[in-house]
Amino acid sequence: MREQVSILDGNTFLVSDRRGDIEPSQDFPTGLFSFDTRFLSTWVLTVDGERLHPLSTDDAFSYRTRFFLVPGAPTHYLDAKVSVIRSRSIGGSFAEELTVLNHSGRQVEFVVRVAMGADFADLFEIKQARRKKGLATATPGENELRFTYRREGFHRETVVGSSATATVDPAGMTFRVCVDPHGEWTTRLDVATVIYGARGEDVRANLPLGAEPRSVAEIQAEHEEIVARAPKLGCDCEPLAGAYLRSLNDLAALRYESIALGVRLMAAGLPWFMTLFGRDSIFTSLQMLPFLPDLVPPTITMLAGLQGFRIDDFRDEEPGKILHELRYGETAGFEEQPHSPYYGSADSTPLFVILLDEYERWTGDTALVRQLEVPARGALEWIDAYGDLLGTGYVWYRTRNPETGLANQCWKDSWDAISYSDGRLPGFPRATCETQGYAYDAKLRGARLARTVWNDPAYAERLEREAAELKERFNRDFWLPDREYYALALDPDGQPVDALSSNIGHLLWSGIVDADKAGPVAAHLLGPRLFSGWGVRTLADDQGRYNPIGYHVGTVWPFDNAIIAWGLWRYGFREEAGRICEGILSASRHFGGRLPEAFAGYERDLTDYPVEYPTACSPQAWSAGTPLLLLRVMLGLEPQGEHLIIDPAVPAGMGRVELLDIPGRWGLVDALGRSRTASDPVRR
Amino acid sequence: MTGATTEATERFFATLPARAPAVLRGPVRGTLQLRITTGNHSEHWRVEMAPGSARVTRETGPADAYWFGSADLFDQLVTGRAHGISSMLRNESTFTGDVVLFLAFRRFFPTRPGTRDPRAVAREQTGRPA
Repeated sequence: MREQVSILDGNTFLVSDRRGDIEPSQDFPTGLFSFDTRFLSTWVLTVDGERLHPLSTDDAFSYRTRFFLVPGAPTHYLDAKVSVIRSRSIGGSFAEELTVLNHSGRQVEFVVRVAMGADFADLFEIKQARRKKGLATATPGENELRFTYRREGFHRETVVGSSATATVDPAGMTFRVCVDPHGEWTTRLDVATVIYGARGEDVRANLPLGAEPRSVAEIQAEHEEIVARAPKLGCDCEPLAGAYLRSLNDLAALRYESIALGVRLMAAGLPWFMTLFGRDSIFTSLQMLPFLPDLVPPTITMLAGLQGFRIDDFRDEEPGKILHELRYGETAGFEEQPHSPYYGSADSTPLFVILLDEYERWTGDTALVRQLEVPARGALEWIDAYGDLLGTGYVWYRTRNPETGLANQCWKDSWDAISYSDGRLPGFPRATCETQGYAYDAKLRGARLARTVWNDPAYAERLEREAAELKERFNRDFWLPDREYYALALDPDGQPVDALSSNIGHLLWSGIVDADKAGPVAAHLLGPRLFSGWGVRTLADDQGRYNPIGYHVGTVWPFDNAIIAWGLWRYGFREEAGRICEGILSASRHFGGRLPEAFAGYERDLTDYPVEYPTACSPQAWSAGTPLLLLRVMLGLEPQGEHLIIDPAVPAGMGRVELLDIPGRWGLVDALGRSRTASDPVRR
Repeated sequence: MTGATTEATERFFATLPARAPAVLRGPVRGTLQLRITTGNHSEHWRVEMAPGSARVTRETGPADAYWFGSADLFDQLVTGRAHGISSMLRNESTFTGDVVLFLAFRRFFPTRPGTRDPRAVAREQTGRPA
């Protein structure tokens, strides 16, 4: 189904075609990447001058792939006298074992060649098709080919070594081999990526977590350990069981070691977003909390450490603001892109406070909450200070970097995501509805932390009063009484941007929705305009800009749906939440348990299977976190004081759902749920 | 550049103890050793940071973190014309040791000259009272 095959370990990843070849691509990130730099852009195998054809590909593991290949076109490979196995793995560096098998009864000579090249493109140069400013060279050595890139002090190297004797030229390696009857020939190609620091050493050598690239065995052991540590799921529903396991493995694979920070952080998604994002890492952490709470503190701590402290127009930075995106490549270093880090996100700051509170509610780790009191207060201050750009009591955004900044600074950050119902685009600044919900929730959660941990009841009361005022104001200014839903945003004149969107579901999660308005909101979310049968569309299908394959204007995002299901549960709409759980989990079955970033908004009845969004990232952290949050919603898991409340409402047809050893301040607890109908068929 | 630390750099270090209560508010603690070079000449600064306090000396010795870069770059950092993390990513400066100390230290770097409060700009442009 997918044309590309990817393997990854943290933010080192490789994307190739189904033969295992990499050909230079100007617009899609094919190649070997590490820390936002492409270290291999060409990697093409030929035997006797012929390209190979894939018989099969074994890509069951995120860090290892095997390709079984034969020369020539598909029409004449049935009587192949030769076949090739490429077995590759990734773990800090990249290694490929190349085996040529002679199936004939006589000795055969082959010319095996791997064309190699490294363009050292920065990920953003691929997005925008820019040319390199520095100098790249290729230096052949003895069974070694070294690619070097320099721009001022910026210095990267790719070193390819072969275990078998090779004839090396600047564009690759050639092997003239003689293989016995029914025999084989093998070489191992090791590709090292080097990021030089000022004193000529690999900067990663100084990282606290260790310099050596991890071996495949170590990666495997770590993944197995993470999966073993997570609660055990027993259930009748196979899509759920498959998605759960796949998610745990993908979340393990997406952890990366920050080059500058020496901690394991969570990358957002392959291939475009293999780095730390404020919003993505916070949502993923919220989803993971009931399952793997100890993976969360490094993310919270690093977001706090990189909190904005001054006004920087290029980076959309302000004091107290939580980052949007951190990159490590050349364009960030030379300030051609603002990601060092970039702060263009209106919601990551309130979300940061929400995560800190939710983390404490699950783990009871008050030490971290005390340690982060200053950044948490700074974040809460930002909401009313720099967040309220126009002084109207709402969080607004408008980039101060029109060239490389983001126009939309909410989770729907593509250029056309925020529109009026008729498709017109509002001016700036904009105040999107869900951000106001997060601000409301952040104030209430901040109040709880102030009262229970920071010992500041006066501050708690102030925050609660501000939250109540915000809720009242919001329900007056955003509610569209004749249509019975909340506007997507306010425009610069304070007028509603009246599109019907999935954002209203996040409002339920935040609790900012007045009780009498929750029913109509739920009805819209599960109504025919928004609900596709698989999930809630980002934009209703009768809106001006609706497009079933438009990134934020009609597709279904699994993460979005998980938050909406959480919101429906919060307001007591268990049956509606269950329909979303059922739809998204059924969809996951069509992606081998791995929910992509987004899929098309077509009616479920129309296609019978979910159509993948053409350039969706996969794995994507907050999509991998989605089955986890859906499990929490179905089992009704909610910390209350030192206890975990378990209040299951398993959708009809799902049968038994059993989650054992849920970690938290209560120790380990089991939860068991079962759908009501006794005669449920077992789902396959 | 003659090899001497720039006036802006001298002034910057001189103000750290007084600014520390406002800047170092979290539970940060440790010593940062800076080596600021011009050609073959190096100047050493040592900053001992603790919650609310910064002690600055010209000593050298073991530290929890080390920063290396040119006098020219450092002058730009302390006058808001360069960015600490970007300069590290392009390898114009190097850092080793406890990164939390650098993240705390960079908060002493000022805003770029001429930067306006974004609220004032936005309210002006939408015709609202500042």
